[in-house]
Amino acid sequence: MPTPGFTDLPLSTDIVSVAIGRWAVAAAPVKIRTLLGSCVGVVLYDRVVKVGGVAHIVLPDAREAVDHPGKYADTAIPGMIVDFDQRLGGNARSRLVAKLVGGARMFQVPSAKDTKAGLNIGQRNQEAIERILAELRIPILARDLGGEAGRRMTLDTASGMITIKVPGGAEYEI
Amino acid sequence: MGKILTEVQRHLLRMIFDRGAEGASLALSKWLGRAVSLTVSEVEITELEQAAELLGPADSLVAACSMELTGRLTGWILLVFEDRSGLALVDMLLHQPVGTTTAWGEIEQSAAKETTNIVGCAYVNALAAHLPATLTRGTAPIRQAESDGSDLVPTPPTFFHEFAGSLLEFALMEQAIELDQVLLIRSEFEAYRRESNLDWTLLFVPTRESLRELIAALAQLELH
Repeated sequence: MPTPGFTDLPLSTDIVSVAIGRWAVAAAPVKIRTLLGSCVGVVLYDRVVKVGGVAHIVLPDAREAVDHPGKYADTAIPGMIVDFDQRLGGNARSRLVAKLVGGARMFQVPSAKDTKAGLNIGQRNQEAIERILAELRIPILARDLGGEAGRRMTLDTASGMITIKVPGGAEYEI
Repeated sequence: MGKILTEVQRHLLRMIFDRGAEGASLALSKWLGRAVSLTVSEVEITELEQAAELLGPADSLVAACSMELTGRLTGWILLVFEDRSGLALVDMLLHQPVGTTTAWGEIEQSAAKETTNIVGCAYVNALAAHLPATLTRGTAPIRQAESDGSDLVPTPPTFFHEFAGSLLEFALMEQAIELDQVLLIRSEFEAYRRESNLDWTLLFVPTRESLRELIAALAQLELH
């Protein structure tokens, strides 16, 4: 049975696309790509065996929701680590490092209604993700967060580098 | 929220927003000085993970203007152009050959924003006349609106040049807080040219609260 939240990988592909609320784990030389707006992309990478994962996280916590584990930081990150363990025979966490991308804010929540929910989801996601990674003792090597524009990010599992493109801008790496 | 809409409610909602789209189509025709036809009007209900592809490939670049809608109905109105069609619209407004404009400078962005202002207001005015009475108690036409909280009042437009998928993610994030299926209303317009058709898409993305209120109003209509 497929792992909920996991993007099914074709047998042979150079680039895997991760949709909103999903994650994928792959080995070199596969590249993993996702398009981010206000969501945060969490990248986990094992530099020794060159296996990487990308989760496209929408919200900080699942609050007992079980149907879409890829959507929430507190279910997607552990779910991704389970996939690493399955690939690598267990205990992958000790070698993992992380990078964070996204969390932009373009639209304001309408001011007349419901000012709490949705307000600065990007920041709330970042705080939750950093807390979870700290609890798991996974160091965060780089961040490219905030701003007001979308980002297309691509993880190269061969190097662990992330290439980022914003509309109208040149590509850069973190 | 469970299943968002019954089929009857979806049909009623599409009929209501068809009226808004027809008003927008007429306004766009007058503004451009050429016939613009409404080709698609659909209530899109989709899984969140598939929403990024609603405007085509998620990493395609689009130009878009957004207006926030406040008052009795809240959400965002987006007029979205694939780059070629958007720049062609600017050429039509500036009475120059299509293909002249090749980049989104200040004048071009201003033209897009003004177009959105005209189309968006026409859309909202037409909508206001056809929304269920329980939703729009006291609604007045936009140009004479008083800010008593019950009118439909769009904000001035903002221009974006963005990945299609990112734009949709931003617009749908408020619904995504509670919903795994998201809803938006999509209307597509077409202006025929001898060489090729030009397409523009108008989206309305309601907030969760307005979605709940719309569903409640539609449920009452369904009973009668």
